[in-house]
Amino acid sequence: MSGWTQFRAILRKDLVRELRTRDMLVSMILFVLLAMVIFHYAFSVKEGADLTYFTGGMLWVTFIFAMLLGLNRSFAQEKDEHCLDGLLLCPVDRVTIFLAKTAGNLVFLLIIQAVAVPVFTLFFIERNYAGDLLPFLVVLLLADVGICALGTLLATISMNTRSRDLLLPILFLPLIVPVLIAATGATTLIFAEGAGFGDLLARLLFLLGFDAVFLVAAWGTYDFAIGE
Amino acid sequence: MKKLLSAPALFAGAGIFLIVGLLLAFWWAPTDASSMGFSQKIFFYHAPIAETALVAFGVAFVAAIAYLRTQDLRWDRLGYVSIRLGLLFSVLVMLTGMIWGKAAWDTWWAWEPRLTTFLLVCFLYVAYWVLRSVVDEEQRRATYAAVFAIIAFIDVPITFFATRFLPEGLHPVVIQAGDSGMEGRMLTSFLISMLGMTLLLAALIRRDLEIEDLRDRVTDLKTSLGG
Amino acid sequence: MSDSPDRRDGAPPLEIEVEGLRKTFARREVLKGLSFSLGRGGFLSIFGPNGAGKTTTLRVLATLLTASGGSVRVAGHDVREDPMPVRRAIGFISHNPMLYPDLTAQENLRFYADMYGVEDRDARITGLLERLELSHRRHDVVRTYSKGMRQRLAIARAILHRPRVLLLDEPHSGLDPRAVDILDGLLQEIRDEHTFVMVTHNIAKGLEWGTDLMIIESGRIAYEHAAGVDHDSFSAVYREHVHDGSVL
Repeated sequence: MSGWTQFRAILRKDLVRELRTRDMLVSMILFVLLAMVIFHYAFSVKEGADLTYFTGGMLWVTFIFAMLLGLNRSFAQEKDEHCLDGLLLCPVDRVTIFLAKTAGNLVFLLIIQAVAVPVFTLFFIERNYAGDLLPFLVVLLLADVGICALGTLLATISMNTRSRDLLLPILFLPLIVPVLIAATGATTLIFAEGAGFGDLLARLLFLLGFDAVFLVAAWGTYDFAIGE
Repeated sequence: MKKLLSAPALFAGAGIFLIVGLLLAFWWAPTDASSMGFSQKIFFYHAPIAETALVAFGVAFVAAIAYLRTQDLRWDRLGYVSIRLGLLFSVLVMLTGMIWGKAAWDTWWAWEPRLTTFLLVCFLYVAYWVLRSVVDEEQRRATYAAVFAIIAFIDVPITFFATRFLPEGLHPVVIQAGDSGMEGRMLTSFLISMLGMTLLLAALIRRDLEIEDLRDRVTDLKTSLGG
Repeated sequence: MSDSPDRRDGAPPLEIEVEGLRKTFARREVLKGLSFSLGRGGFLSIFGPNGAGKTTTLRVLATLLTASGGSVRVAGHDVREDPMPVRRAIGFISHNPMLYPDLTAQENLRFYADMYGVEDRDARITGLLERLELSHRRHDVVRTYSKGMRQRLAIARAILHRPRVLLLDEPHSGLDPRAVDILDGLLQEIRDEHTFVMVTHNIAKGLEWGTDLMIIESGRIAYEHAAGVDHDSFSAVYREHVHDGSVL
């Protein structure tokens, strides 16, 4: 029995659970699509308003808020059925639990993005950015990792408090601002003007650094966050 | 040595340095040559308050790590006392920064790196308090608070870096602090103010720790008396 | 039971050693210095009023809670310094089945088997499901199970990895007679070679199974005795210490 087997077991369990009930996924996808419609009406005050330079921001705000919904959900059930006890009784490194949970959340976020990005492109993007697709996907992935790692750590803490759902956004949003800055900058650039890896280098490296730093920080503190 | 570190002594020391720094700043250091003129003097307090706020959060960071290792609640107490003071100082930073901005550039607010970083810092550490308020059990509250204090402190320089070096497209008003190229009398006055402010922080932490200790003892007395 | 460390030859090694166990929650001391031990193969029945600290004690043994003071050793390892081997050696059955409702019985057991590194995973699962009379429902999600069935599956979960020590928190509560029979049958089967600690309000069961008896009250051991106490005298002692509606 290795950490890798346990990692896979937890990941598989979470994926099977979610794909079977689809509670979280369906709600998150609906939320994301609705948010786009709301954004259109929120911003189109002037006839023919050009939202091109808002696109990166709209996209990432949507994903971050959707993720807040999803994170709460993914831990709520563990807690309600006392399954968390069952998990903690196992001879498993707490960090393995963290990595598996983060990976699970990452998969869900990617699934939602796979649906949301094409629709968003349809609604808001006029420029054909297919040439910059690869940089775009890299930005997506790097930002996602930061969001999921930080989100999983904070959700672990907040689910054990009195005001579970309300606390998570308060803890999460101030911390995720740097990711937001880098990701929206990069995304808007790609959507509005086009950008290659060269133009995005600073932001990509920044996201990579952010991910590395917070993965290490979560690694060191997760034991405390999940224990009792 | 203990006498030297007691609250009254620290307050006295802080007082001396701050007043001397104030006098020097206003009468001894030359008026800033740039367009800011006399209003630049506020910098002698604005920047030290900012640095001291960060020192306070740094103390909380170390205290958090110490708590996680030892499970001794006294570290938790040092942590939240420091953060409370750090938050107070951060609000002051923003206020003095806004006043300075109004005086020098006729604008109350600008989305520039320092102000926005401190704004986020305020949100971060208020979140710390919210977190504390929704956990009832002592050890767990201290544990979660410690984890968050560590994460938050790591995020502060990252946030500053992001706001400063990642261009947002629309270039905000960049306010020069004038802290590069400070020399002679200006630097001395500045350093004296810095030291004074740091001593003030130490004094306040010391006094707050004593107050919290008294508060706990009162609670314990009440409980044992059947209150 | 509360033996000195140097045991005579022939006496089984100590599987559980608790020394000065203290636990504080929010400035309230829930456990005030418990000390007891249990040899391998023993069965400790713990009784006591609600809120006495019985479940807390069990959770500390299970590594789910960290003690505020004292030392606890299970299966030869300190629960604080070395929790992993302890976790491998224990199985925990409580009134929370700790099963994922949206997964099938098979998926639940496979998950735990992988987490514990059970080598003959599929054979073991099939065998247990048969023994617990759940084979016909193995591919149904646990959400569709009755309480008795969930408890049976929970037993399978707990002994899947062949733990040496079983911790039971009121295992008979809320079970229908059939489930009680299956549970007892299973416990009887694995009685040898295993050490048990059972918290219960059911005096009859506690006396029937226990080699060692303990009453915990207000965080302290109020009474302890090796087995051989008859039901009536124990009930008298029990009534002295416990005042809530337990099953006598």
